[in-house]
Amino acid sequence: MKPILEIKGLSYRYEGGQRALRDIDLNIYPGEIVALVGQNGAGKTTLAKHIIGILKPPPDQVIVCGNDVAATPVSKMAKQVGFVFQNPDHQIFHQTVNQEVAFGLRNLGLPEDEMKQRVTTALKEVGLELLAGQYPLSLSRGQRQRLALACVLAMKPEVIVLDEPTTGQDQWEKIQIMNLVADLNKRGHTVIFITHDMSLVARYAKRVVVLCQGEIILDNSTQDALAKPEQLAKSFLKPPQITLLSNRLNETLNRPGATTVLTVEEMYSNLQAMMEGGA
Amino acid sequence: MARVTEYIDCNSFIHRLNPLSKLFWALGVMILALSFNNVFYLLALLVLVILTGLMARVLLNLAFVLKGLLIFASILVLLQIFFLQGNMVLFYLLPDQHLPVTKEALLLGLAMGLRMITVVLSFLIFLSTTQFKDILLVLTEKLRLPYDYVFMFMTALRFVPTFLDEAVQVRYAQQVRGCPVDSGNPWQKLKAYQAVALPLVLVSLKKAERLAIAMETRGFGCGKRTYYQEPVLTKLDTLVMVMVIATVILAITFRLQGYGIVHY
Repeated sequence: MKPILEIKGLSYRYEGGQRALRDIDLNIYPGEIVALVGQNGAGKTTLAKHIIGILKPPPDQVIVCGNDVAATPVSKMAKQVGFVFQNPDHQIFHQTVNQEVAFGLRNLGLPEDEMKQRVTTALKEVGLELLAGQYPLSLSRGQRQRLALACVLAMKPEVIVLDEPTTGQDQWEKIQIMNLVADLNKRGHTVIFITHDMSLVARYAKRVVVLCQGEIILDNSTQDALAKPEQLAKSFLKPPQITLLSNRLNETLNRPGATTVLTVEEMYSNLQAMMEGGA
Repeated sequence: MARVTEYIDCNSFIHRLNPLSKLFWALGVMILALSFNNVFYLLALLVLVILTGLMARVLLNLAFVLKGLLIFASILVLLQIFFLQGNMVLFYLLPDQHLPVTKEALLLGLAMGLRMITVVLSFLIFLSTTQFKDILLVLTEKLRLPYDYVFMFMTALRFVPTFLDEAVQVRYAQQVRGCPVDSGNPWQKLKAYQAVALPLVLVSLKKAERLAIAMETRGFGCGKRTYYQEPVLTKLDTLVMVMVIATVILAITFRLQGYGIVHY
């Protein structure tokens, strides 16, 4: 299969001389859901910015949806790539929540009736449908974050990049957002999300890319990545407790090759199966 | 452009001077620049300012500002060429003897440009070799200006880089929503910038409000202030200030005698 996102030997240095990315090679295929993790300052956001061209890569080093990012203006890339920033306030400026979501669609030149329909759907998906007529800046921080997400959803991009989409959200909102993201992925969107929350990684990502000081030190399926706590420890990352527990149990019960458990539900069904087998 | 008014830490002897003497110097340069309009006088002054910048080891960081200033200076020169009618025609910008460039216009334009660069550069050197808190301290303690106003002014200055930085972030945020700030014809671009300006104002207002609350929670305005570190006036500072004052007096005397001034 042809990758939807192709990065070849990308390096980047900030103006002050600080090196942010070193020789990054990364292929992401249509329909994947990838978590980008690493310490603060590891280069996650810098890498993500190259995907849509906010930071311009050298020619032919980053190809997204068949476009050379170096040669395409960001506002053109926006048709195929959605980007949700950490700070929603940088984009909010309309009188109502409705208009705010419609802004991006107007830029795409959509007809009025389709626009209306997409706005309603997007707001329903993020759970803001009752606030559609409100002034966006009167919403809470969490709601504004979800509004920013709705703005991107409505544009229906093939690739969605989310920079810490769950900051400032309570547990319930977090799960809601991530369920929505997973749902989008099931509907065929390619998703790349940046996060610090390893339980979200374990639960939602199919693939994990770990950045450390501008280099990819681990790129693997989530199960395989979380089975190697030593590798993750280099970036001061720790698998969720349930995974650590299952890894330890597998060791003491001497079950090499047993699958790595990612969620409590998996652990429960595994234990149940074991107990029934043992009885 | 984001780092125009920022302190550059190099610890040169100019960095260690008292802010008051550096302020004196910058004001002195300004008075001198405004007193004369002879190109050569102004050029000499600019060279002195550049030398000071080199000694302070901040000139490289200011090089990109200089580039912008040069563009403005050339606009000034062009304006004089268009509007000043002199007698000594040097050459014509358009064929058939249209748009004459006269010697007087060229010289006056150059003088204006040099004057602007000199004044801006001297203040940039002052700002980039002096820490914000020290400037504040000198203005309030030594020059007895009211603290609240000085603080307000200096904070505004301090937030210019932050504001520019924020503007870039907002532009990105709108670009990724397909807002054509980076493509299309100039008119479309101009309209698109509305989507940058509005959030920028809203974010800044919010930031100002938060800053005010943060300051109040830390006791701003509750009574007489004391200071953590007060910069002292050394012998070198006195020397610098005496020299600046002497030069200014000398310059004004010369100017009144008719030196360094050209009438157009």
